[in-house]
Amino acid sequence: MGDVDQSRRTFLKSLVIIAGASMVIGMLRGLEVIVPPSVGISSFPLLQLVDENGNPIKASDVPINGQKLAMFNYPLNNEPNYLLNLGNDSNQPVEIPATSVSIPATGQSYTFPGGVGPNKSIVAYSALCEHLGCAYPELTFYPPGVKTPTFNGPMDKVIHCSCHGSTYDPYKGAAVITGPTTKPLPAVQLKWDPDTDYLYAVTMIGPTIYGHTDDLSGGSPISGNSTTVKLMSNPALG
Amino acid sequence: MGMSRKSIGDWFAETFHLKDIPFMGVPTYMFSIEYWLGGIASAALFWQALTGLLMLLYYQPSDAYDSTMAIIHAVPFGSVLLSSHLYGAYIMILAVYIHGLHVYFKGAYKKPRQFQWVLGVLMFAMVMITSFVGYSMTGDVLGTDAVDVGKGILASIHLSVLTPIFFGNGTELDLFTRLLGWHIILVTLVVLLFALHFYLAEQNGFMPDLKEAKYKAPAVLRKDDARIKPWWPRNFIFMIGIVTLTWGIILMLPSILALPQIVDKVPILFSPYPGPSPASPQASLVPAYPPWFFLFMYKMADMPFPLAVDVSMGALIPLVVLIVVPFIDRNEELHPLDRPFLTALFITGLTWLIELSIWGAGQPGVPVKPIWLLLVIIPPFIISFGGIYLLHLMWRSIKPKVINADPGDKTTASNVAEDKVDKLLSALSIIVTAVAVIILLLSFSLNPITDGPLIGLSWSALLLLFSADVFIYFRYELK
Repeated sequence: MGDVDQSRRTFLKSLVIIAGASMVIGMLRGLEVIVPPSVGISSFPLLQLVDENGNPIKASDVPINGQKLAMFNYPLNNEPNYLLNLGNDSNQPVEIPATSVSIPATGQSYTFPGGVGPNKSIVAYSALCEHLGCAYPELTFYPPGVKTPTFNGPMDKVIHCSCHGSTYDPYKGAAVITGPTTKPLPAVQLKWDPDTDYLYAVTMIGPTIYGHTDDLSGGSPISGNSTTVKLMSNPALG
Repeated sequence: MGMSRKSIGDWFAETFHLKDIPFMGVPTYMFSIEYWLGGIASAALFWQALTGLLMLLYYQPSDAYDSTMAIIHAVPFGSVLLSSHLYGAYIMILAVYIHGLHVYFKGAYKKPRQFQWVLGVLMFAMVMITSFVGYSMTGDVLGTDAVDVGKGILASIHLSVLTPIFFGNGTELDLFTRLLGWHIILVTLVVLLFALHFYLAEQNGFMPDLKEAKYKAPAVLRKDDARIKPWWPRNFIFMIGIVTLTWGIILMLPSILALPQIVDKVPILFSPYPGPSPASPQASLVPAYPPWFFLFMYKMADMPFPLAVDVSMGALIPLVVLIVVPFIDRNEELHPLDRPFLTALFITGLTWLIELSIWGAGQPGVPVKPIWLLLVIIPPFIISFGGIYLLHLMWRSIKPKVINADPGDKTTASNVAEDKVDKLLSALSIIVTAVAVIILLLSFSLNPITDGPLIGLSWSALLLLFSADVFIYFRYELK
């Protein structure tokens, strides 16, 4: 075989490689097909809290000290929250003051606005543990007098997760009491209408809800202007 | 030769032991499309598996129509995926038809390849059913009709007992869950049968040029034939060219039809996307149509016979005939004009198939009067049998001359002319490569959701241009 022939052959081979690389690179883009279109909403909706029949929940209806656990989804359908009417040892509502909550993971902090309702005792927190996402019934509120073992010894009046032992203080914006979690539970900012005694969810405060890149995406939107509150038995009470 | 002199190709071949691949190489004359028709069908099958598996990430039997439309409108590159899956099936069916015709007319179903042929016919039937199921999965108005027709066909041949097995217990969710399940089960069976078909093709040896075999079965290319060169790299390179060519065509057709300037003018028979939902007002404007490859069956149902007779004549009897052909036609004659009866029968059947398909497209659902039927059925029968027997007699008289004719030295083109062709092709290859790079760069400006047709066209162009480069280079592998 002549020299010309061989060099032309090598040249053509390199052209094949260039065209092949163009083809592969051009089509590799297509792998984006595996990325699902994102589902979610663009801003926090104002949702009224209603019962399973669609009737508005009144602040005075919220069970004291989690005798029953009131749960509702907000802002998306797969983002459950606990609605708690916090009280003292004799089951009288107590005012939950605004407080600064720190995020150990980042060292930053944010302001928790405090409770709402006639006694300023009603709060709502994400029902997904910020450590590894355990939910009801593992993550629950331990009412006054019902103690759970924690890394700080037996404690009551805490939200505690039995999966890995994270403990939060619902009286102080669900701040971290013990790890392994390094983030407080996100709080739902509630609004109370004193004229009607109705409750509304307004926005989320604090860290991003567990399992979401942001609170408003990664789940289906809640349809309508209200979100349903379900009453569940509290596993802490056995 | 030191390590540094080793080319990428050699490194690749050594790392993956490509020289040890036990596939059979072929003589140079077999690097021609007529010996690669099965390869085209296989390439289409591969494309179908690839795109189908990706769509499994999105298809929801609980929401068949809307999830299908979401693939087109919301998933990045989704419209390319769905429309090329449809046209991949079309190209595969066409390729299977042509492959089957080629095998039939060359008598390649004869000894020792009888079972290979039977497998081919079975795969053909299964591919048709798989396509029927896939087409129904969209849940559009035509797919919904297709399911109802399927139930009717089962009932007509007294197999209603199979209706819940194929179409579920009557709930929509069970219907689409089963359609998805059957689609995957059937295609898995096709892949398994294909593996056996391919294995038999390798072991039985390829069908050589008929003239070389003196038109006598068993015609087998001997494995020790001196003209055979190893599978690597010649067959590999040619295969890559065939696969990218096939994929390029599969992407090109629906992408052209889906262009916004064109898509509304495309007849529903060739639409790259599903039709309207049966619940939408537009559904009433859509004439009931099967996919084009079932038009013949659609017209059969217009015949003045009970449905069971239509189904038997249109599908069951032809299939049985195809399956038994190698066991009835056992003589050693390979030339189509040496077996005039089967050749004429096949041409008649093929003509009927084409006639019925065109008729079905033009007059869907119009009942057929017996006299029309006779006018359509009888002339092709007389013409092909008369014509083939006439050709048979003429062939007989010249056959000895043809067979014994000295092939003679093929006058090879002079070196000067060949050099000119080489130079022209090299220049072409440079242009092809440059265009590929330009298209690659342009393609990055396209939006994967809204520019689906243009993305499809750009990928099609990249595949076809690469394929062209491969075939140009391949000439040097043959030298």
